[in-house]
Amino acid sequence: MSAIYFKEMKNYFRTMTGYGFLGFFTLIMGYFFISQNIVVMNANYNETLSGALIMFLILIPILTMRSFSEESAQKTDQLLYCAPVNVSDIVIGKFLAAASLFLIGMLITGIFPTILYNLSEGRMDTGLTAVGCVGFVFLALCFISVGIFISSLTDNQLVAGAGTFAVIFMLLMMDNIASSAPIGNTASLVFVSAIIILIAVYIHTSTKNIAVALLFAFTGTVIAGVLFLIRSNLYDGAISGILGWFSVLARFENFYLGSVNVSDVIYYITFCTLFIYLTVGTIEKRRWS
Amino acid sequence: MIEVKKLTKKYGANFAVNNISFVVHDGEILGFLGPNGAGKTTTMNMLTGFISSTSGTVRINGYDIVDDPINAKKQLGYMPDVPPLYGDMTVMEYLHFVCDIKKIKKDKREEMLEKITSLTGIEKMKGRLCKNLSKGYRQRVGLAQALVGFPEVLILDEPTSGLDPEQIVEIREVIKELGKNHTVILSSHILSEVSAICDRVMIINNGKIVATDSTEKLSEGSDAAAQLLSVPSENAEEALEALKQKDGIMSATLVGQGKEAVLKIESSGEDIRKAIFSVMSEKNIPILKLQPSGDGLEEAFMRIIRGENEQPDPGFITEEDEPNDASEKKGDES
Repeated sequence: MSAIYFKEMKNYFRTMTGYGFLGFFTLIMGYFFISQNIVVMNANYNETLSGALIMFLILIPILTMRSFSEESAQKTDQLLYCAPVNVSDIVIGKFLAAASLFLIGMLITGIFPTILYNLSEGRMDTGLTAVGCVGFVFLALCFISVGIFISSLTDNQLVAGAGTFAVIFMLLMMDNIASSAPIGNTASLVFVSAIIILIAVYIHTSTKNIAVALLFAFTGTVIAGVLFLIRSNLYDGAISGILGWFSVLARFENFYLGSVNVSDVIYYITFCTLFIYLTVGTIEKRRWS
Repeated sequence: MIEVKKLTKKYGANFAVNNISFVVHDGEILGFLGPNGAGKTTTMNMLTGFISSTSGTVRINGYDIVDDPINAKKQLGYMPDVPPLYGDMTVMEYLHFVCDIKKIKKDKREEMLEKITSLTGIEKMKGRLCKNLSKGYRQRVGLAQALVGFPEVLILDEPTSGLDPEQIVEIREVIKELGKNHTVILSSHILSEVSAICDRVMIINNGKIVATDSTEKLSEGSDAAAQLLSVPSENAEEALEALKQKDGIMSATLVGQGKEAVLKIESSGEDIRKAIFSVMSEKNIPILKLQPSGDGLEEAFMRIIRGENEQPDPGFITEEDEPNDASEKKGDES
């Protein structure tokens, strides 16, 4: 794992990527710091953080689009997968390298809250700022795990970058989408059935076993249908409930307000683990099909 | 030692590799020969664990590539058909990274890399970025990468493709040298290469092993069986007539005529060079040139690939034959 980690770190700084990322990161954070804190004389640094969320759309793809697509485009994946290393070590190594680069960015921009603390003569709430930063980093880790996953799906780094952009956009918009989702029971049933069928398709593509996939789709929809007939109130607002789970921003709200919930931390860790697991699965599957 | 049992790879309904089994012993160089798309690379990718097999097992020094991949891969050095180089690294950075992922101890590295770079002749390129290397040097760095850690088993996919003739000879020498104490599998579609380096050849076509034997055995027979004879044009007719009447010569045909006439003479398998000489000296026709019709191995190869070996030639062993019987028979006959 360390071999991959150091290779990735060196690679960030051997190419433009690392410098470009850090430069852009500092620039945008600086812009929001000026506009959200300095100009309006506000001592809450979390305003800067929440304003800067939008930069994830550009920054995370820069960080992750190359990670696996480049390896398969250059055929260097043969070297990695024929070496005595586990695939999970490779994925985690790459994830940690991207996360480290992000943390370096956070360290550099750590100068902003320090300035703010001095300018506001100690009126800045350090606890609140620290919690906000932790939430901000968690959010970035989630997006990085998504970006690495998308990068493992394609050989083309531009496709990976655009895909990551689109998915992060969806994730940032998830609150809006969830709140405007239809709340009727029937719509929810359709939505749940669609998800079951999607999972069945995934099972089919990854195992090539049509019987299992059909069985899953059939029993899943039957159970969903029966539940609908006997306890239809279960479906009240199910769409927004399910979509809401993917709303990484809703969790960030709590950090932004300064409260750390164990459930939020577990949520973020689960989210990252899920996507790292999916990445390992995708790579293994590519080699096994 | 590499043991392969009933290895099969299916893509959809197509068999890329169909139920092949073989064993490569320690210190042996096995050549994989076959036309493009025969399944050479697919087989190698399965041996190294890069892709999975549909069924069948691969054991490297006793470690199963699926059940115990980490230990099996520790025994392996793999040079894929496209050298897996990172363009943004210099050659030395790259080789150090390979040391890292192969978990080579730090204190052994310098000496080992020194040896590898001189073996593969890339000393002068140490500081060069991989993306700026020429095709030949990429190939060499690809080979160097496989040698890191001097693993017991080396799998080389077309190691000399893209090299100039001088480099080809050099790399062949390196592989021969390595073959003395490593187990080597190399693939190629160049026949002379395989006959120059390998102890044993396995011909693979449409995912199946169609023949396997030592290089000498495979090219024997066909080497002497068909000859190209050049005589002065004015003597062509006379030579043809005389040759056709000689015992042991199956056919003699005129294949080309300019200042010299080129005759193709075929026998049923035995060496006919003496016969040709005696006929020509009887008729007092000068022999301008006498050469085997094409590379002997090439002949055998073409015949096998075309599926002309319905009646197994005693010169090589087909899968159905008992390996020992057939080779002894051949020995008796010649």
